[in-house]
Parts: sequence; C-alpha cells; structure tokens
Amino acid sequence: MNRIVDHPILSAPEGRTSVTFSFDGAALSGFEGEAVSSALFAAGVQTFSVHPRGDAPQGIFCANGQCSQCTVLIDGVARKACITPLAEGMDVRTLHGFPELPARDAPRAAVSGETLSTDVLVIGGGPSGLAAAAELARLGLSVILADDKVSLGGKLVLQTHKFFGSEEDCYAGTRGIEIAKRLEEDIRSLPGVTVLENSPVAGLYKDRKAGVWRNYESYVLVDFKALVVAAGAREKSVLFPGNDLPGVYGAGAFQTLVNRDLVRAARRVLIIGSGNVGLIGAYHALQAGIEVAGIVEILPKVNGYKVHADKIVRMGVPVYLNTTVVSVEGNGKVERATVAEVDKDWRPILSTARTYEVDTVLVAAGLSPCDEFYRQAVDFGFLAVTAGDAEEIAEASSAMFGGRIAALSLAKLLGKKVDIDESWLAKREVLKSRPGDNLCRDEEIPTEFWKPVFFCTEEIPCNPCTTVCPTHSIQLKERKGSIMDLPYFEGSSCKGCTVCVAACPGLAMSLMRRVDEGWAEVVLPFEFKADFEPGARLPVLDQEGAFLEDAELLKKVFNRKYRTWILTLKVSRANAPRAIGIRVQSEAATRPLPAPRFEHLPDDAVVCRCERITVGEIVRFIRENAVTDVNQLKTLRVGMGACGSKTCSVLLPQVFRKAGIDPARTTAGTLRPLALEIPMKDLINEAAGRPL
Amino acid sequence: MKTCDVAILGAGSIGVPLAYYCAKKGLSVLVLDKEPSWGRGQNRAAIGGIRATHSDPAKIKIGLLSLDIARNMKEEHGLNIEWHQGGYMFVAYDEERERSFKDLLVVQKAAGLDIDWISPDRVLELSPGLNPEGLRGGTYSPGDGFASPLMTSTAFHKLALDAGAEFRFGETVTGFGIEGRRIRTVRTDAGEYSAGTFVNAAGAEAAGLGNLAGLELPVHPDLHEGGVTEPVRRFMEPMVVDMRGDDRSGNYYFYQAGTGQVIFCITPKPQIWGTDTDNTSAFLPHCVSRMVSLYPRLRNLKVRRTWRGCYPMTPDGLPVVGYPREPENLLLAVGMCGQGFMLGPGLGKILADTLTGDGARYGQVFEELSLYRKFEGMELLK
Repeated sequence: MNRIVDHPILSAPEGRTSVTFSFDGAALSGFEGEAVSSALFAAGVQTFSVHPRGDAPQGIFCANGQCSQCTVLIDGVARKACITPLAEGMDVRTLHGFPELPARDAPRAAVSGETLSTDVLVIGGGPSGLAAAAELARLGLSVILADDKVSLGGKLVLQTHKFFGSEEDCYAGTRGIEIAKRLEEDIRSLPGVTVLENSPVAGLYKDRKAGVWRNYESYVLVDFKALVVAAGAREKSVLFPGNDLPGVYGAGAFQTLVNRDLVRAARRVLIIGSGNVGLIGAYHALQAGIEVAGIVEILPKVNGYKVHADKIVRMGVPVYLNTTVVSVEGNGKVERATVAEVDKDWRPILSTARTYEVDTVLVAAGLSPCDEFYRQAVDFGFLAVTAGDAEEIAEASSAMFGGRIAALSLAKLLGKKVDIDESWLAKREVLKSRPGDNLCRDEEIPTEFWKPVFFCTEEIPCNPCTTVCPTHSIQLKERKGSIMDLPYFEGSSCKGCTVCVAACPGLAMSLMRRVDEGWAEVVLPFEFKADFEPGARLPVLDQEGAFLEDAELLKKVFNRKYRTWILTLKVSRANAPRAIGIRVQSEAATRPLPAPRFEHLPDDAVVCRCERITVGEIVRFIRENAVTDVNQLKTLRVGMGACGSKTCSVLLPQVFRKAGIDPARTTAGTLRPLALEIPMKDLINEAAGRPL
Repeated sequence: MKTCDVAILGAGSIGVPLAYYCAKKGLSVLVLDKEPSWGRGQNRAAIGGIRATHSDPAKIKIGLLSLDIARNMKEEHGLNIEWHQGGYMFVAYDEERERSFKDLLVVQKAAGLDIDWISPDRVLELSPGLNPEGLRGGTYSPGDGFASPLMTSTAFHKLALDAGAEFRFGETVTGFGIEGRRIRTVRTDAGEYSAGTFVNAAGAEAAGLGNLAGLELPVHPDLHEGGVTEPVRRFMEPMVVDMRGDDRSGNYYFYQAGTGQVIFCITPKPQIWGTDTDNTSAFLPHCVSRMVSLYPRLRNLKVRRTWRGCYPMTPDGLPVVGYPREPENLLLAVGMCGQGFMLGPGLGKILADTLTGDGARYGQVFEELSLYRKFEGMELLK
C-alpha cells in the first residue's frame, strides 16, 4: 500500500472508514469517501483507461475534475475517478475504448431544477474567491459562492509550506493548509454567503444564469446580477514524446495525491519547470518520502523564488537550467525520462542527453488562468470581475488582496458607495511582484552572543521574521520601501529564541553563537522527519547546496506552532556563518543512467490529450487545408474532447508556429458550455425523484 | 480587379460544396465570407442529419442527391466525413401521429423514397431501450444517415481548393456595383470583385445581402440549440425524431454519430426569432428531460457541449432557389430552414450543372422553390 503514514507536516485524517472495492475483479481496500483515483494510486494502479486511438494506456493528469483522463468504469458507468468518492463494494474497471451505455439500471423521475437568485455569484472558493465573497457580504450584498471541492481554500489545501508575504496582511509564515482552514471558517460565519461546495459551475448562459453541477448529482441555475470569476489556474501541458504516458501528470495532481490524500504516488520523479510550483513539488515529494531526480528548466534562470530553489537544492535536488525533456518512455507507464540542454533557439542538443530512471514526470511548466467564464461574461455584457490566478498568476497572498479589491470594484459597479483603500492596491502590487534583485550580504562572524544569519538574498515580498521577533531586532533595510526589502539584524538583543528560524518560509535563517575558538553552535530549521538523535552527524550545506561538513547534532526541539524541527548543530567556526541546510536526499537518486537511452520523435508529442492528436498530425492538417482558424482543428477532433480544449488550447500557438503560421494571425476556438461533462440524469435532477 | 465566372457569397453549407462543383466544372470561382474560415456561420451548428425523407418533391430530389454524395465521399475522394447510414425513424405514440405519418408515406413512396412503416418491435430493435409504453411504431427510411458537418465542409473546402477555387475569408460584403438589370461587381471591406454570376449563399444573412442588391427575400432566422454527448459504443442506429410537442417545445431529435456521440436538438415553442447564437439556460434541462423520458437509457450519458445556431426560415419552410427577375445574375440559394447542411451537397451539384448549361433536368426544383411562389402552408417534416 502506497500510503503516507509518517509525513513530517501532515497527519492522516482520523476516523476514516476502510471499505473494500474491486479493480478489474481484484479485491482492494481504501477509505470511504476518498477519491477513487487516490484509492487506486494507493493500491499501485496508475492506468485508468485504454484510449481507443492507438490502444494507449491513460493515466491521471489533473486530479482536479477538469480533464477526464482518469475516467474508469464504476459499477458499469464511465466516471472520472478523481471526483468520485469511494464507496463500499464499488466495482471499478479499466475503461477500454468507449464505454457501453448500461441497458437497464434504476431510473428515477425527473425533477424540475431549482433556480437560485443572488446579487453576486463567485466562481471559485480559493483565496481570492473567499476574500471577494467575504468583502461583498460585508457590504450587504447576497453572495453565492460555488466551488468544485468539498473543502474550501482552493490550492491552499494542498500546500504544506509556510507562506511568504506579511503576517498582518496574508498569514505569512503560516502553512497553506492552515490558511485554508481559517478562510473557510471565516466565510461560513458570514450570513450573507451561501456556499455551494463540491459544486462546479458548468456553464454561463446569455440569459444571465449559470448552470451549477450541485454536489455532482443535480443541476441548479443561479440567476445573478454580477459575477466574480476566481476559478484559479491550471497547469500548462508540455509537448514532448511520451507526454501522455501514465505517470506524466501535473504538479497540482501530485500535490492532490500526496498532500490532500496522503498517497505516495511515486518512487522517483523528474520535475519539468523551476517556477514556485515545480520547486514546491520537489519539496512535497521529499516530505512524502519520494525521490526527486531533478528539476529541469528550459530558461537560463530559476523561475521561482531563489529561497525556494536554494532550499530544494540544499535538500539534495539538482536544478538543471537550459535543459528540456526530449523523451519520456516506458512500457505502458513512465520508466525513464531523457533530458538535454538546449541551444539558443530552444532546440535540444541531443549530444548532451541524459536519461534518468523515474516512474513519474511532473509537469510544472507554468500555469494558465482559468478565465474562460470571465471572457464569456464580458462577451455577454455581464457585470463581471476576475481575481486571483484567473486574473493573473501570482501567489495566494496577492490573490487574497486581489479578491478584496475585485469585490469592491464590483460593488461600486452595483451602485454601492465604497472607497478602495489605496494601500490595498499598493500591497497587492508588492505581493504579486516578481522577485527583485539578488543582493550580496556580508559574511557574519560568530560571537559569544546569539545572532540570526540570513540566507535570503533575493528581494521577494516576505517579512515574517521581522514580525515574530520578540525583541524587534530584525528590520527590513529600506531599499524599495516595501516588504520586498531584505531583513537584517539590528541591535544586540537576540535571545536565541529560534522563532524566526521556525517561521521563515524560505528555511533561510539560522542562529549562530561562538562556543570557542574552533566551534560555533548553529540553529537550523528542518521540515522532515527528524529520525536522528543528538550525537548524530548530519551533512551540513551552504546556501546553494555545497557540502560544508558533517556536523554533530547537539539538540533537537520541535516547534509545534510552526511544525518545524529546530536543530542545534556543532559546526566549525569557519563554516558556521555559511551553514544553512541539511541534505535529505542521497546523490544516488539523482544519477543518470551510464548512457542515454531514448528515441527522438518530437512529432509524436500529444497536443490534444482527450482525443490523442499529435503535433505531427495537426501540423500536416494545417498545411494541407490552409488552416488559420483553431475551430477548423475540430475536424481532427482537437478540442472536441471531454475537457473542452482546456489543455490543448495553450499549446496550439506553438503548433501553428511549427506549421509556419504566425499564431497572431490565427482565430481562437469558440468556447461553449458545458465546461465539464454532466450526466443527463443529473441535468434532470433524478437524485431527488421517485424511482420509476 | 479580380474577375471570375462565379462569385459565391457565403462559405457555408451551400457555398462550399457549390464552390467545389463549379470549380470542378471548370468555372473560375471566388468565395467570400466574413467569417475567418469555412463553415463558421450556421454550418458549424448543424447537427449532421442527411435525409431524403421530406414531404416535398423538390427537397426529396435534392436530398437523394446529397445522400448519394455523402455515401460516396470516402470511396470517391478518400475523405472521411464520418458518414453513417443509420436511417431516420419518426416514432408515433398516438393515433393522430400514426395517421399523419402513414398519409405522408403515400407521397414519399410516390417520390421514390425507401421508407416504410415499422412495428414497435422493429423500433425497439433499432433503438434498444426506447420507452415502449404507448409506442405504436414509426416510419423508417434506412437510406438516410448522418455525417459530421465539420468534416464535410472541410472535405468540400479541400476539394474546392484542389479544384482551383479561391476563398477569401474575413471579408464582409458592403455592396454591389449594379448596371441595368445585372450585378457587375461585389464590394467588400477589403476589395471589389467582378463576376458573371453572383450566388447568394449567405444563410442566416441572406436577406441582408439581398437588400444590398435591392431584393426583398422572405428569409428570417430563428434560433435553435443543440448538444453533443460523450462518445459511447453504438447502442442505437437511426436518427430518432419525436414530432410531439409540449408547452415549451415542438419536435426534438437525436442520433448517435459514427464516432459514438449522441447529438441532439429541439424546436423551441414559441419560435425564437433573431441571430444571437449565444447559449441560453433553458435548452439543456428541457431537451434532456424530454429525451430521457423517451429513451431512459440515455440517463447515464454525459452531455459534453451545447451550442446555438440559426435556421434561415421562409414562410412555408422550403428554400428559395433560382434567379430573381432582377438582378438577373444573382443566383439565390437561400432560406434552407435549418437544412442547409443536408441540402448543400445536392444543391451545389444542381446549381453547378445549371450554371454550366447542364441543368435542364432540374426544372421542377427551380419551379417549386421559386422566389415567386405563393409561400402557403408549411412543410410537414420540418
């Protein structure tokens, strides 16, 4: 069983009921109510269906109810495993080709659907949607908030790391899972807000209504005056041959499996993309006991925060810049991934290819906003605003501010007299800023008094260390005049309390004190299982991951509030100012095969995952039919699948370019409801009807 | 100025096949459309049925020709349009319906259609799981079928390109240069073109285009929504048509495409006039509840997408085809009443034959579909 039982941050949910179910006839067990997909992963099953085109095995991709790749047969009906709760006795089977429509089952009478009315419909219950809904309700507007998950908080519920930003504005230093809980409690305490959880919005209609798939079993229309689209973002797919093998999936899906459902989804992963999502994916993997062969980044620079990257590298995960994936291969599932450096035109240099033995490739090459409903609302002439990632991809901290600001601007449009606090606008700008400059710090010298040492050198919006220090000895040094500025130790009154070390979201602070001429005590944060005792020797590294020495552990204390181990180590005086990390992954996990092993077939990369249409097929079709309109690719069935072109649409510009057509000259595909497939019995509310 | 034999105004259900048949006959052809590519007006909204089962001889004739073309597309041109010959089945659940279908059979058989009355058992054999309660049987025309409108228009576009037709997209017609009784040129927002014959194949916008030439055309679009489901293994053969109505809708129909999806459509009551093709909320719950009550087996089928399109309607439900008295070189192929897709290939061939002096045998078609007919009554199987 691939269950995570000893996670350093997360504890397994209590009181879950074990149930038995079958997969292709074999008896398995799982937990009642968990996603069928997670129960299958826990049982080692990663192939959910066999695609009718080419009999290709299909695995999970989004684990988020959006893409349909995890469709299996459940009690004879094709359903998405990731949104179907597991129940006792379920008969789950691999879906081979198209499903058979059951000839007879238990129909019930249709029931007329309800129409709910509200001032504002908020689509999405993540940080921005929750913030917007709360703000609108406080202004006396009625709000319906529809979210597709059981627990509110959006992607916060998947985040085990402490957040950046500031404590006063956006819960900095607090882990995403904790922030989500607080936001959910807040929203549920507001009387003007009706929450439709577990209920995705499936379509917007010109008569100013939205269709909501309530509880994934019935269909209600919501009549609204205005709309907040805070639907978040989705992972961009990446084109490489083998990108549709089971085992290639989004970093978000990985977070869902590992952090929400505590399933050890992989043994060793390769991560594509060094943005914060990819970097954090590596951190989540290591916490879950999953090895990370490396992170590849096609750009010449890490795309996420430097503190994130540094800490990942210190944990023992290499980040390969100017590098891309050229092939992922295996017999029915991922067995190896081959990467290569790229030239100045982003083409792989095959002579630099290296092959890694991995069972999973995580796609974290950026996010694209889920802004379809917003674009449609604007087309329809509705009053609508967008917030969070649906507006602009950024951190949850800025999403919360964005949500509040969007809510107020909408309230204004609805005739409410409100003023938007100017300072909010400024704060949001700061919180969503890309990292600023990477500065140098002078090396600290250990003295007989405790003092903090900082290993954050890049300007990012973050200041918890300054607010948690009980003696107010840590201050930002003014350069930009915002929380982008770097913190410094001011004064001499460090008591060695270690709270700053525990709170630092980047794990980029230590405390240091000279013991004698040769040695210093160094206090480091550690967010893994500390299965070692004082006296043990631990491999200590510098900011960017270079090995310094094996240092003796003097003391370990667990900080409950921050769920972080505080380790005190005896480090040589010379290394003490540079010691900040402890390697947790051995180098063996990151070694490539002695020789590369791959085929280079770039035309085989799958663009439309639903219908399995490759780059080569589309390029040929574009050329033969003089296509400049994405809608014509529907002839090839591109975009006609269950996901409604959510995955392929972001890839099409590259494909047109490859066919010699400037993407700027192309016409985008038309969006139509439904945004996700709904069974007819749910559209007619059979669940509430009498048996026939 | 570019000059050609035929300027086809509209690259849709009618214009694209017509372009191919004209180019194949050696005419120089220019097709203009304001959309960014072919079939993006109402063709994209067609659900895909092709039948000869009409109540009017002219349409039966065109329909038979279309069927012939669709059936042979793969063999003749190697192009897949997902043709599936599943037939059309009009089901009867009451005596009145049974009687009217049977009355119509006389006309249809006289026009040479392969159609007959079938028993309830046969109905259930063709669509297993259909509600048997009160089922009296139906008419079944096994020669009818369905194809993908997208793939069909792409196929004709490709054939037309290969035959030398020229397409200009993203150009809106702004006026005509008229001399005496004839059109000399057509002007668009991007240029001016001269031609010997101009064809109004502008679908839902045919009346507006006619106006630019000083012609009143009795074509008024009304709106219909349609939908498509996930694909499943074949479980039904024919297009099922239920002609009954209720307080919010008239008939509705659905079929399982060659690729496994069920495609469906309903006629709203009262008619919704206009050209706003954005989806509305009423369609899906209503249409689906009627479908599931007729065919309970559909309950587990997932709806994937819905859309809305225009039926360019005429007062009697029949197209307008032929030349007006003036301008005498503006060939009309308009008012397809929601059947442009199924009439297009056959009509394209007939009009191309006519344009090259080979159309004598279609006299009856032009007579019945003349702009100057009386527009009385309503086609029974609309």
